[in-house]
Amino acid sequence: MTTKKTDAIVIGAGWAGSILAKELTEAGLSVTVLERGEDRATAVEGDYPTSIDELRGAIRHRLFQNLSQSTVTIRNTMDQDAVPYRRLAAFLPGEGVGGAGLHWSGVHFRVAPDDLALRTNVIARYGKNFIPEGMNLQDYDVTYEELEPFFDKAEKVFGTSGEPYTIKGKVAGTGNPFAPDRSDAFPLPAMKDVYSATVFKKAAANVGYHPYSLPAANASAQYTNPYGVQMGPCNFCGYCSGYDCYMYSKASPNVNILPALRQDPKFTLITKAHVLKVDLDSDGKKATGVTYLDLNTNQQVQLKADLVIISAFQFHNVHLMLLSGIGEPYDPVKNTGTIGRNFVYQTITTSRAWLPSKQYTNLFVGAGGAGVAIDDFNSMNFDHGPLGFVGGSPVWVNQAGVKPIAAAIGGPAGNAPTWGEGYKDAMVETYRHSLTIDAHGSNMAYRDVYLDLDPTYKDAYGQALLRMTFTWKDNDIRMNQYVVSKIEPIMKEMGATRYALGHLHANELFDTRRYQTTHLGGGAVMGADPKTSAVNRYLQSWDVSNVFVIGASAFPQGMGYNPTGMVAALAYWAAYHIRTTYLKNPGPMVQA
Amino acid sequence: MKMPSPTRRHFIGGLLGSASFWLYSDHKVWADALAVGNAGPYAPRYFNKEEWRFLNAACERIYPTDAHGPGARGLGAPEFIDRQMDTAYGRGELWYMSGPFVSAPANLGYQLSLPPREVYRQGIAGADAYVRAHHDGRSFADLETAEQTAVLKEFEHGEMALGAVPAHLLFEQLRQNTLEGVFSDPLYGGNKGLAGWTLLGFPGARADFMDWVNQEGAAYPFGPVSISGETA
Amino acid sequence: MKHCTFSFTTALGAAALLVLGHMPQARADASADLVAKGRYVAEASDCSACHTIKGGKPYGGGMEFKLPIGSIYSSNISPDPAHGIGTYSEAEFARAVREGVRKDGASLYPAMPFPSYARMSDSDIHALYVYFMKGVQPVAQAAPANGIPWPMSMRWPMIFWRAVFAPSVASAQKDVNRTFPTPAIARGAYLVEGPGHCGACHSPRGIALQEKALSASSGTAFLSGGAPIDGFVPTSLRQDQRTGLASWSEDDIVAFLSTGRNLKGESFGGMTDAVYHGTQHLSPEDLRAMAQYLRSLQPNSPNAAAWRYDPAAATALQHGDASARGAKVYVDHCAACHRTDGHGYAPAFPPLAGNPVVMSEQPDSLVHVVQSGAALPGMTKAPSAFVMPSYSQMLSAQQIADVVTFIRGAWGNNASPVDAATVASLQKSAPPRVLDEKPVPLN
Repeated sequence: MTTKKTDAIVIGAGWAGSILAKELTEAGLSVTVLERGEDRATAVEGDYPTSIDELRGAIRHRLFQNLSQSTVTIRNTMDQDAVPYRRLAAFLPGEGVGGAGLHWSGVHFRVAPDDLALRTNVIARYGKNFIPEGMNLQDYDVTYEELEPFFDKAEKVFGTSGEPYTIKGKVAGTGNPFAPDRSDAFPLPAMKDVYSATVFKKAAANVGYHPYSLPAANASAQYTNPYGVQMGPCNFCGYCSGYDCYMYSKASPNVNILPALRQDPKFTLITKAHVLKVDLDSDGKKATGVTYLDLNTNQQVQLKADLVIISAFQFHNVHLMLLSGIGEPYDPVKNTGTIGRNFVYQTITTSRAWLPSKQYTNLFVGAGGAGVAIDDFNSMNFDHGPLGFVGGSPVWVNQAGVKPIAAAIGGPAGNAPTWGEGYKDAMVETYRHSLTIDAHGSNMAYRDVYLDLDPTYKDAYGQALLRMTFTWKDNDIRMNQYVVSKIEPIMKEMGATRYALGHLHANELFDTRRYQTTHLGGGAVMGADPKTSAVNRYLQSWDVSNVFVIGASAFPQGMGYNPTGMVAALAYWAAYHIRTTYLKNPGPMVQA
Repeated sequence: MKMPSPTRRHFIGGLLGSASFWLYSDHKVWADALAVGNAGPYAPRYFNKEEWRFLNAACERIYPTDAHGPGARGLGAPEFIDRQMDTAYGRGELWYMSGPFVSAPANLGYQLSLPPREVYRQGIAGADAYVRAHHDGRSFADLETAEQTAVLKEFEHGEMALGAVPAHLLFEQLRQNTLEGVFSDPLYGGNKGLAGWTLLGFPGARADFMDWVNQEGAAYPFGPVSISGETA
Repeated sequence: MKHCTFSFTTALGAAALLVLGHMPQARADASADLVAKGRYVAEASDCSACHTIKGGKPYGGGMEFKLPIGSIYSSNISPDPAHGIGTYSEAEFARAVREGVRKDGASLYPAMPFPSYARMSDSDIHALYVYFMKGVQPVAQAAPANGIPWPMSMRWPMIFWRAVFAPSVASAQKDVNRTFPTPAIARGAYLVEGPGHCGACHSPRGIALQEKALSASSGTAFLSGGAPIDGFVPTSLRQDQRTGLASWSEDDIVAFLSTGRNLKGESFGGMTDAVYHGTQHLSPEDLRAMAQYLRSLQPNSPNAAAWRYDPAAATALQHGDASARGAKVYVDHCAACHRTDGHGYAPAFPPLAGNPVVMSEQPDSLVHVVQSGAALPGMTKAPSAFVMPSYSQMLSAQQIADVVTFIRGAWGNNASPVDAATVASLQKSAPPRVLDEKPVPLN
């Protein structure tokens, strides 16, 4: 085993890792980023037109995690034996430089401020008994006002396109009236609405809702960000989700941060470096570095550092904490421990409307972050009192560019044939004239939904796989059904010739075979109480103070909004406090 | 139907030499893409003669020739599937394939130890045996088309095992790979003449709709173009 | 004014501190400031573009120049005593740089731009010498022998070449000290005509490969566009309409020299090396001086009409009409980045409408960029790398001729059409295809 030393180690080269690496090198630290996948640069394998390849991209998972080396096991309930997630389907973690930040779509929200203190707000409005038995409703212990400068910074780095509602308390645009106040405008104007989105926008307004153009990290014009990197404008090619953007218009660590970071001599990127564990000192209170496997040589390397940033994908963060012995593993029976607690996901269901045959929706035209949404049924924007559930969903037309294989395999929906006679007619009509509306909503945390180490299955390196115990719960199913019922009047108003509403069913089990969303969260959540959170409000481990755990793993609940904007803001927030406080006086920043 | 032109083969050959493709693609696929384009019927490399007859017949029933245009055979879907068998995907190298393999509720996903190439090998053998047993000793490929469709419907919804392969699994493998072959870039052997994309109205690898973001519901005017520059 | 003294000291400032951080251990007797200044002069003179090969040690030489008369290789100019210039005195060094005469008295081929370097000030030559002796690591390897066949391999005829075409240092220095409208233009002239040796590529050459003019004082041929280099045609840097820099503002020129890209175009070919190794390291004041000087150069073809945008081609494409020659190929392969309106998305993807490279009388550069593609690496002030794909194996010569004709004719460009035979003949001089190079330039 070889031993090396650096000031700070960053595990994972996705958004969170790239942001932390940039911030820490700016602070003067030598930073080594360990990434287990390949290096990836848009100029090379994201090139035009060869990256415009659905089979190699989204279908054969070019940019996604290769499960043959490591995966998770999944079960719905604690009385089951978990089995491996052998084939990518329900969720798609990234692998390689850029991580999921390279293949994401680009919907770039801030946060609904009420969601940051959801427990406090629900109790204040509806009383403590409104929270169902077994639901671990928690606050983040950070406010929107505290995070606002970091949302602003992230948007400027990402080159985010959007229409504001209020700036510094004054109405400044026709954006989302439920959106929180901003200190500045978006760096770029909102993306254009595709035809389907304009149809939805008009109908939703007529029904009395408040439609707005989605904030998108797809550049609506040429843009140079504060790091000097350049973006081209999105041309709606539709190759966002699952692809690297050859137009340099979808924000990614590869386009927006790494070109600048790679020029910094204090920055080192080591790819094909699979971190086996964070090394702790003898009393387990301090990290001394990490041990990783060099996948090129199959040699173990010990890298020493004063500061370790765990910033891989959400569940990899939790997995690594469990493998390293950082914090106490969550035990759902005793209700003790925090690592693996509050594992959450998001609800998402899709409904489809068919328009008259003279109206072409051109589903291949799209941008992953663009569309039109309503927030009337998200967060605490509506009265939950008579409904008896917690949470909500934005509802949107987010035409991200539908490619033919996905459309063909997914089938024309409804009762139409999925092959053989009649299939082509249904497919063609659906592909040319339909549009989809999603309810993309929250998912609450529950005592018996969690992450731990699997007792049976191992990864290619001999370590225990992470085990997910997850299924849909009544609260979230009813929330989804309620919000979907609000889509129906929009369908009618837009003149749909027919429509099919998609929603969760009572007692529906989580199905790992069908793509839903990659928005997994929690498992190493932030909070004020070390008994119910793994990290403090600065995303610093309560137990090992020179370890910070950055990512959606910090979310105590799955929120209605897409997570990347929140992840980026939390990364900048944590980095700011590391730079201004921690580095001056290393140690716990919040006393337990 | 257009075969790839010398220029396009040249292009694909060029890809083989370029850094990005050696690094990030399955080499075999591209080497195969280079090899095609020679005139004459495709000779399968993975499937044996009986399997090939089954595959051609089944693909064609899943995506039939009709008034809309060519079916899966004409589009090269069987050729696509044959070539996919010798890729990381076909060998199951993209999947977690460590044991123990146990049976689990369907909603927890695929739990067999078989990669796609084995699903076909064992599944087709089982399917033909099943068909011979129920159809006077005829193989699937020898059935009338209506009979073939009826058998595939049985498989689609049936719980019977075809060797080690559940019938519905073989069916779904066939359906998915057939549609992949019909609608993927012709680099991989299917979607010949871009006829799959043309039917849907998908513009292919042009990947630029700046002028067509919103033309008030008008149809998009240009036909498809492939990665290698083939047009239709 | 400091600019008039041709000293680099104003340019240094904070840059010197940065430079020092990267410097090999300066020996105690060398003034660090002088080494830093010398490094800056080396960058302004773009020494490494020719004397450092990709992946090679700095200034180890060995870069091949394919000339009509055979191949020559750049020499090792590191301070190695056996293989480099370690035994050169400052006077010998100055004579090599400014007069093209080696220590042993042999003549250098004029691929070394000594006719331009003759203009360099004593103070810059001194700094440059100190830098090469104290700030560069010796490279103990010989550059390959030149491959020019006899009788062209004989260096002695170069003596006559020098006598006829190369200015004496005295006459060059006198020209440097001519009168300029402003100190900044004087400074710009020094940089462009002297160390920058822009004319080596951008000026036409005569029958003996001599530059037809070595400074703005010797006529409008200077920087009016050069012969193809590596297949690419250097454009006019004068205020020529359509084919020169008439449409480039001072800011455009500064942005281009500091990042290889601006709102009007993007560098490719040898110019990318010139920016990457050279101009991006210059101070903003020096770049502005160069821009002001270039903007002062009267057109070589004063009667050419200005380019004016014509929307007809864009309107047709935006209505689904791609019937014009080459229009469909353009829609299928080019419009994604360069737009149906030809404006591109600068600075990420350059405009083709009104682009001097596109409107050049010779279509070589445009054809070669289409055939071979181009890579623009990240620069310090613009870290993003961009790649234009290569189309030589996707499109036939006829298709390339068609699309190049469309690009040259559309949007008011009104340049002449190109036929397939021309494209086919240009394939012989095609540069290597982008992304074939390893390592691929990222940033």
